[in-house]
Amino acid sequence: MKKIKKSDLNKLLSQWQQKYSVFAPSNHGVVKMTAWDGKDTTFLDWYRNTVVPPKNNFLPGMEKMFDIKKDAGYKLEVTADDTKQLIFGVRPCDARALALIDVNFKDGYEDTYYLNRRKNGLLVGLGCTSPCASCFCTSLNIHPAESQDVDVMFNDIGEELLIAEVTDKGKELLAASSGLSDATAADEAKAKEAKEATFKKVTRKINTGEIKERLMPSFENEEYWKNVAAKCVSCGICTFLCPTCYCFDINDEQSKGEAARFRNWDCCSFAVYTKMPMENPREEKWRRVRQKVNHKYNFFPMIYEQIACTGCGRCIRQCPVNWDITQVLSTLPEKAKA
Amino acid sequence: MTDTEKKLQDKAKELLEQGKVEHIIGYAAGSLKFTTTPLITKDKDDARQLVINPFIVNNLSVFLNDIKGKIGIVAKPCDARSIVSLLQDQQVARENLVILGLPCQGLIDLRKVERLTGKDRDDIDDITRNGDKVTVTTGGKTQKFAAKEVIFDDCLSCETPTPPEYDFLFGEPSSATDKELGRKNIKELEAMSPQQRWDFWKQEFSRCIRCYACRQVCPACFCTRCFIEETEPQWLSPLPRWQDNLLFQTTRMLHVAGRCTDCGECERVCPVNIPLRSISKKVEEIVDELFQYKAGMDKNAERFMTAYEPSEAEDLMR
Repeated sequence: MKKIKKSDLNKLLSQWQQKYSVFAPSNHGVVKMTAWDGKDTTFLDWYRNTVVPPKNNFLPGMEKMFDIKKDAGYKLEVTADDTKQLIFGVRPCDARALALIDVNFKDGYEDTYYLNRRKNGLLVGLGCTSPCASCFCTSLNIHPAESQDVDVMFNDIGEELLIAEVTDKGKELLAASSGLSDATAADEAKAKEAKEATFKKVTRKINTGEIKERLMPSFENEEYWKNVAAKCVSCGICTFLCPTCYCFDINDEQSKGEAARFRNWDCCSFAVYTKMPMENPREEKWRRVRQKVNHKYNFFPMIYEQIACTGCGRCIRQCPVNWDITQVLSTLPEKAKA
Repeated sequence: MTDTEKKLQDKAKELLEQGKVEHIIGYAAGSLKFTTTPLITKDKDDARQLVINPFIVNNLSVFLNDIKGKIGIVAKPCDARSIVSLLQDQQVARENLVILGLPCQGLIDLRKVERLTGKDRDDIDDITRNGDKVTVTTGGKTQKFAAKEVIFDDCLSCETPTPPEYDFLFGEPSSATDKELGRKNIKELEAMSPQQRWDFWKQEFSRCIRCYACRQVCPACFCTRCFIEETEPQWLSPLPRWQDNLLFQTTRMLHVAGRCTDCGECERVCPVNIPLRSISKKVEEIVDELFQYKAGMDKNAERFMTAYEPSEAEDLMR
């Protein structure tokens, strides 16, 4: 393993900036991954997690899919984004979330827009040291300070950052980087201790075994869903800020002689969800709330054998009405008969 | 539990028990520190969950369109003004409401506390208000602030410490308002040149993700079909470009002019921190200046911009 002084991180990021578009946490109005300014690494002091998840770098809030130009006939030009992104400071929950989106976007059809960005992108993880009160990653088998879903993993060991290569891409990146020193056994012991301490700080829990037994049997309990849905205001915060939500809407724009197709985030909480292809089959709010919970904890696992939630807690912390999915999941009324 | 909370809980329980209301809408403790959550219930036993504290941020009148039947609703002054406005617009009927009014002394803005202490809300152990002083405890250390340093801007501007409409009142009014401080952000914008203001809003609206939380929490946004979702013809693009984001918001703000009661919810819920109240408050000031109209003060008042007198001087209207 390698290590670097925190005060030298800017030199390392600068090296990487020669080859990659480096993104790092910043707080210009909102905490999100933004194009690194070439010097600022003060985020190391305050950064817990971004409000806007790094999925925004791979499935942006809006993107152009193709242009259509009228010439002799009609010409279609597909948008290709080959930017080599390097995202520094990705939290383990968000790295797992991208791995989950990968599964969906590789299944059935290949979503080239998303997959291209993923192929060209590098994730540099940074282990958590102070999880939020809303975090419940450990219940989803995610360690807040360890990740196999990134290319390189950084961990805070005081004055220095311990660096571990995770993938071949990460190995290549580190091999081409200068200014790193070798970590000692003492450094690794320090990191291990810090990681264990962080793990214990995640106190919010859910019981996925119990949820699995209860969610499907509770599906038809209309009264329960009506009750839990009552205070939801049907905004898009929980889904747009969810690192695993990947629904999108399609919008065409046209002007004389040309047109373009775009896609932008969509949200199953919206009453107008899926109005573009047809009608929203879930006109009533409680059906939409039920769908959101079931998609993550029931339907996605049915297809892909994984829960589509990483316990990042954004949907709890950012919710205007404190609609707390962990409370909903722990009060499911029905249980499968033995 | 305070005496006032007890009285509120007892009244809510009584209303449900005696069948005077079918639902109670109030506040219960939230699942995170310094949060509360809307409590919407038919169950008299839930009444004991009702709380009153400096974190009862939601404007609960937004739920009135959703829930049918007789409703007992807990209302702070700005929420009560929203209810009055909904009554004026015939969105709810007075006889279906029992308004459990709460005088208000301003609610604590966690973002301000975080800014002043340099600490994240999760790292703060306690926030206590005592009269004009707010004590913040972090890791055993205490810091004292004047209440007006940490309450929401809209609370600083509050003109109605007592709800203008209620059936029962719980608690004594007191307020730590500071009108000048409440419009500090607006004053900064007024001092800018048009170009500077344009650049400012361009930057702010570049962050908008179109989650529509501002609209969803707004009691004045009661349209069943929003112009932004019109597709035939499409009025505005649903794509989150800053220009369309800005146009969406300014159109929304004009739609709610004369109905906005400065509850500040749009700004509070914005996940990307766009200072929306700087627009809504300014619009409210203009409405007051031009039409001598304040939203939601009197349920019998003529609604804003809905009546026309032939004697009015506006050529456009002739």
